Amino acid sequence: MKKGNLAPALAVAAIAALAVAGCSSSSSTGSGSTTGTTASGNTVDVYSSLPMVGSSSAQTIPMVNGIKLALSQAGGMAGKFHVRYIELNDATAAAGKWDPSQTQANAREAATDKNAVYYIGEFNSGASEVSIPILNQGGLAQVSPANTYVGLTTSLPGSAPGEPAKYYPTGTRNYLRIVPIDSIQAASDLMVMHQAGCTKVAVANDKEAYGAGLAQLLGLEKSYYGVNIVSNTGIDPTAANFRSYAATTKTEGANCFFFAGIVSNGAVQITKDVAAALPAAKIFGGDGICTSSFTQASQGGVPASIASRIECTVATQNLPSYPGGKRFLSAYKSAYKVTDPDPYAIYGYGAMQLGLSTIAKLGANGDNKADVLKALFATRDTQSVLGTFGFNKDGDTTLKSYGVYKIATDGVPVFFETLTPTKTVG
Amino acid sequence: MTALLPAWWSRVLAAALVVFGVLLPFGFGTASGFMNATIIALAFAVMSLGLNIVVGVAGLLDLGYVAFYAIGAYAVGWFGSEFFSRVNVHVLVSPVVSELPGIHLSFLLILVAAAAICAAAGVVIGLPTLRLRGDYIAIVTLAFGEIIGVVAVNGQSISLGGGMTLTAGNLGISAVDEPYIPGIGSFGLLDLRPWYWLIFAILLVALFVNLRIRDSRLGRAWVALREDEVAAVSMGIPLVRTKLLAYAMGAAFGGMSGAFLGTYYTEVNAGQFQFGFSIFILAMVIIGGLGSIWGAVTGGLLLGYINNWLIPDVLNNLPSAFGFSFQLTQVEFGIFGFLLVITMVLRPQGLLPERRRRQELTAAIPAEDSQLSTGPEDAA
Amino acid sequence: MVNTTTITPEPPAELPGLPGRLGDLGARTRVLAGLLAKVRGAGGLVLIAALAALPLYYGITDLVNGYQAGVVAGRPVIHHDLSKLGFNFAEGLSDGAIWALIAIGYTLVYGIIELINFAHGDVFMIGSFTAVGLWGPLGLGLSTSALGVAGGLFVTLLVTMAVTGSLNAGIERVAYRPLRNAPKLAPLITAVGFSFILQNVGLLWRGGSPQSVADLIGAQHKVFTIGGVPILRGYLLAFAVMVPLVIALTWFIGSTRAGKAMRATAQDPEAARLMGINVDSTVSLTFALGGALAGAGGLVYAVYETNVWYFQGFQAGLMAFTAAVMGGIGNVRGAVLGGLIIGVIQSLSDSRIGPEWTEAVVFGYLIAIMVLRPKGLLGEQTREAG
Repeated sequence: MKKGNLAPALAVAAIAALAVAGCSSSSSTGSGSTTGTTASGNTVDVYSSLPMVGSSSAQTIPMVNGIKLALSQAGGMAGKFHVRYIELNDATAAAGKWDPSQTQANAREAATDKNAVYYIGEFNSGASEVSIPILNQGGLAQVSPANTYVGLTTSLPGSAPGEPAKYYPTGTRNYLRIVPIDSIQAASDLMVMHQAGCTKVAVANDKEAYGAGLAQLLGLEKSYYGVNIVSNTGIDPTAANFRSYAATTKTEGANCFFFAGIVSNGAVQITKDVAAALPAAKIFGGDGICTSSFTQASQGGVPASIASRIECTVATQNLPSYPGGKRFLSAYKSAYKVTDPDPYAIYGYGAMQLGLSTIAKLGANGDNKADVLKALFATRDTQSVLGTFGFNKDGDTTLKSYGVYKIATDGVPVFFETLTPTKTVG
Repeated sequence: MTALLPAWWSRVLAAALVVFGVLLPFGFGTASGFMNATIIALAFAVMSLGLNIVVGVAGLLDLGYVAFYAIGAYAVGWFGSEFFSRVNVHVLVSPVVSELPGIHLSFLLILVAAAAICAAAGVVIGLPTLRLRGDYIAIVTLAFGEIIGVVAVNGQSISLGGGMTLTAGNLGISAVDEPYIPGIGSFGLLDLRPWYWLIFAILLVALFVNLRIRDSRLGRAWVALREDEVAAVSMGIPLVRTKLLAYAMGAAFGGMSGAFLGTYYTEVNAGQFQFGFSIFILAMVIIGGLGSIWGAVTGGLLLGYINNWLIPDVLNNLPSAFGFSFQLTQVEFGIFGFLLVITMVLRPQGLLPERRRRQELTAAIPAEDSQLSTGPEDAA
Repeated sequence: MVNTTTITPEPPAELPGLPGRLGDLGARTRVLAGLLAKVRGAGGLVLIAALAALPLYYGITDLVNGYQAGVVAGRPVIHHDLSKLGFNFAEGLSDGAIWALIAIGYTLVYGIIELINFAHGDVFMIGSFTAVGLWGPLGLGLSTSALGVAGGLFVTLLVTMAVTGSLNAGIERVAYRPLRNAPKLAPLITAVGFSFILQNVGLLWRGGSPQSVADLIGAQHKVFTIGGVPILRGYLLAFAVMVPLVIALTWFIGSTRAGKAMRATAQDPEAARLMGINVDSTVSLTFALGGALAGAGGLVYAVYETNVWYFQGFQAGLMAFTAAVMGGIGNVRGAVLGGLIIGVIQSLSDSRIGPEWTEAVVFGYLIAIMVLRPKGLLGEQTREAG
């Protein structure tokens, strides 16, 4: 740095310019858009934080559609409060998927928002590990429509040491989820496979928190249901094909295949390859794949000949028979032109509905986040599109049933029966 | 241009920069989104400085820098959390943390450990590339970066005995300790100021080291190797040692920044360590100006802000600010790519190019009598 | 950067003033470097040994210990033959043929302007999308006759190659030509930028999840069997497209005037310009050819794998780039060889070690090959030192 050079001056100028720009917008909303009226004093803020960029958007866009539908059906109101819905994105362009920096930013924004009372998120269990402690310190309720990893709320087998306490630095719980945890879904899936007569099951997981966790619980609980799992293989979701893996399942003599993961992680391709290698095998999966983008050929899913061999589980049971179920289906169809909404759309709808009804029931105290949190944990027997449920002291839903779906000839998953597993690791 | 400003100007400017940096947080809320983006941008600037040493100064195209980010972050995950729950080691941590199982070292110790481990890793990665030219170095470093990424994901199944595994894969090692200053307290999650000052201090240290080395024998040896390896070696520059030192130093900065990000994010998730990140950091160095220290910092800050503030906070709100319901997140990739293309096409030499390169790229300077002198040159 | 492989000066004794411990490090690494040089000196033998290690090992264990080929009546069936290894090779070579098609594009572009075109993989992805998009208007479906499918695919091939060729040439015009005189790494970033843009196009076109497409040729149907190894239609298609295209390209580069211009420009652009060659249009032609081959690869991918995904280009590009470098940068035959080798390694790893480790195995192999043969398997063909 001899004789003074201009480089540092330019750097300062650039940073100063950005700072000035940031100053003026630092009070604006975060990484998303807002809907709803903004009457102050009579407004509560409801946030959602989901990965809206990249592969997961295939699942989160329907989820946001469900959330918005619930809000519009309630007229944008929760009791006597106007609801301002802020949709945040926890993914970044450079990463193309959820990013801890963005998740933190979203959680912090909600935690420091005085009008915030409800936070719907995250989609990935790994992201919730980042957001729960921040929202915990902010005393804001977080409700997840998708996390199933057991360690977020319990210390059951499958969780890491120190969990779940390490996510709640204040000691008080602030996290709830409306979908049952992995141990219940795994048990339901084992029941389904046992019923279907599977003697040797090959499990493949996409190595993400949801898939790996589900596969792990399948292994831990298989003895309760007399199912023989011959292999649990982690796959590379970006691989071009899985024929070598499929050949391996053939040599293992598997007669059933279970894919633990979500559609965007190679589910369709691996299913096609395994179905070709094992022409008589039945195919199973969890709610990550129980959607028409996996089961319907016209939507890029598996061919119809394979679809007829699939059975999958979703936390919603026979939707039309539940209060509001028919209304939801017809409203979803008219708003989004889809006759069978993705399970995640239903979960999103259920999450928003839960929030709106909880706020409404509190009357004048609906804008007090501590009251909302207490009321959520006190929920018993609330009726929703997911059935009748409440929350236990861990924040887990009291729903212990899963719906089994088979695939109709047009490729749409159709409800078949409800299963309530009696034996789980918990 | 360099003759315009007196010598003391640079010192005043440096002091002003430091003061401005220290006072910056007071202009924003304690949990402001802009501060979050600034902290991350500063961390990227440190990484950019590290990669700049390898790619810009020493001329070794490293496409696997994400490996050092990963190792630095895992250093925090291993030595600053409950991950190794069967072991009980506590050094200079807060009273709350002393009760927890696992290895818990003070953050400054972890920082040093991360730098050391990464320096060693840098040497290991650099060794096979010593006799390779140009883009073959790129491919080998890329390979190492990918292998570390795969190990990070699969580490969930690599058992270390006692129920402990190497990593937690895509689930992440979570609830990593926050830094603790004895007598004052731990960093919190809602107050961003201490974090900001910590990373700003790390950046100042990195800048200081870089500036000193640039003008030292080692720095000039790197440039000599970059410009003409045969001539440099003939003049007595030890090839192997110099190259390995470049890798080691670059890696150490990556590790330090990685350790900071690991504790800032409170989680170490294998999904963060993908090849795309290496390209991201490389873009920072190139857009800033290859080989230029201030360029690296500027590039790091610029891309950090674009990725974590401009696109998510500013641009994504634009449609709704104008009353449209169009979701800009659908084209976030494209916008980011477009910004990269535009920046490079408009200024291919980078924002703040190295002085040597500026001289190379400047058109022929007409020789006037006044310029033909045999006096001491401005050898900056 | 100067090519140093012809002169290897002996590093001088330690300079005074340098810390002793660092000097030690230098000495030890010098010993290691010396060892490596001896190994390399042992020549292609060691390289061939390294390459053959995996298949040899598994071949021998298959023969001696046998492998489980299935389960009959609850008991495992053990075979002692090489058909599983043969299956690995058949799978691997046909997957590798697709990587080869993409790798050729990388290597041609690198040979001529020393640029790693990171957008190339995404051009391949656009090729796949275009090909699949054409099947609708052409009326190609599962019920089309064999002749109809063959004709339709041929038309699709031509159109796709034209589209991706022009796309690649267009990107060159917009993003790389203005940076011809910029620092060597500047076009790398515009390439990355375009990669992002193309990925977004793919994301908007077909969404975030991989999409299954109609299995037009019945890619998994067995055509015949060689020594217990089933040869599927997909394998034949991959080679039926790759081999003629590579032969045509090699002929083009070797025997035509334009091809000679390409070689001349690759060797020394300044001299080529002096000899009257239009460097700009030669470069454009190179990009167009590389893009066309990537498009062909995209069509083969869509028909063979029966799925397309906006992200497939990123991953495929990585593998193809690795193949191009492994075979020797600028060397077309090397790119083909590299692609085939990577395909086989992938298949062996998927089948024997586990799919979660495949990427690590491929890259581990790459490091080994680079250490043993720094100029790539068949040597590089790029501009001379100057």
